[in-house]
Amino acid sequence: MRVLAVDDERGLALCTDGQGRRETVEIALVLPVAPSDELLVHAATAIAKEGSQ
Amino acid sequence: MKFVDEYRDAELGRALSAQILSLVEPGRHYKVMEVCGGHTHSIYKYGIDDLLPENVELVHGPGCPVCVIPMGRVDDGIAIARREGVIFTCFGDMLRVPGSERTLLDAKADGADIRMVYSPLDAMRIAKSNPDRDVVFFAIGFETTAPSTALTLKRAKAEGVSNFLCMCNHVTIIPPLRALLTSPDMRLDGFIGPGHVSTIVGARPFEFIPADYGKPLVTSGFEPLDILQSIQMILAQLAEGRSEIENQYKRVVPYEGNRAALAVMAEVFALRPHFEWRGLGFITQSALRLSDAYAEFDAERRYEVPGVRVADPKACQCGEVLKGVIKPWECKVFGTACTPEHAIGTCMVSPEGACAAYYNYGRFAREKELV
Repeated sequence: MRVLAVDDERGLALCTDGQGRRETVEIALVLPVAPSDELLVHAATAIAKEGSQ
Repeated sequence: MKFVDEYRDAELGRALSAQILSLVEPGRHYKVMEVCGGHTHSIYKYGIDDLLPENVELVHGPGCPVCVIPMGRVDDGIAIARREGVIFTCFGDMLRVPGSERTLLDAKADGADIRMVYSPLDAMRIAKSNPDRDVVFFAIGFETTAPSTALTLKRAKAEGVSNFLCMCNHVTIIPPLRALLTSPDMRLDGFIGPGHVSTIVGARPFEFIPADYGKPLVTSGFEPLDILQSIQMILAQLAEGRSEIENQYKRVVPYEGNRAALAVMAEVFALRPHFEWRGLGFITQSALRLSDAYAEFDAERRYEVPGVRVADPKACQCGEVLKGVIKPWECKVFGTACTPEHAIGTCMVSPEGACAAYYNYGRFAREKELV
């Protein structure tokens, strides 16, 4: 999912998928996160940043 | 779409298929296990089987989290869900997993307040909106999903959401793999490693597979070219007499895993001494419970549950399917008494289950062959 906006205070990000669906995602495991980052999301938790390795 | 389209290129797929063909020895039969249910789903969805030589067989492993939940745990969940004042939450596919007599969906129809959620965070939101009721989240999944539960429990503790509880059924991938490798009826040549579990645990925990058993393992992504390339890498190792851990899914899998995720899991969970796996029986230290520091959120400590071990229905052969001993269509009830609409076994419930994946994507091709 692509990051649209980050709420640093709550550790959450607003993300969108390829179909335009939006979802609030927990980002504690992949910090730091910035808009336009691509995240691998499982059960509303980002578990990896795509292309970061 | 970025990170998707480039992994579905037909031309590259044909090139990888040709490379795979050039690597296999005629007369030798290769058995490669895809550990993860997500891979099973992709293999059937994209027809990857059809791009392989006949002597390369893909064997489905135990990595579908819904499939390995035993009937007794479903009964335990239903017992909690039926309690006065409880809101019971779980992922959608879990609703249809059969217990000994009923599913959670049946219990919901009977009047229990059972709600489908997309994430543990959703369940916690329900708890915050219903402070006078206990909200229980039925947590399932491998190391991919466990961090999500752990983070939510940390959040619940920090925010004082004391009516949020967890019935923990998280399992770990290494112990069943060890069990499979020591099984006398299982001869495998290599493994397609679970990509999403590996984003959390890394590749290091799988090192025992080449070291102790001499089998290659390639951690793989889930797009068709990922899987084809991983098979090519496994066959290249076999052709060169190597057995190593290789990482095809480098775009998300760090060799050492996700340290933040491992840390939060270590804080919130503890290993159970043993846990029953559907089809595989009891496996030592193969599942997680809530740690003592999070005991106040543990639904199994708050409520008494039956905890009875329930044998699978005789007609169901999910156990053999989960161990890769038989193919889905070799089960006696596949596609007749057992379908996704009326599942007898768990492998027919989840989209990641081998039976459901094959029923949805592969059976027509096979029916055509049989005609």
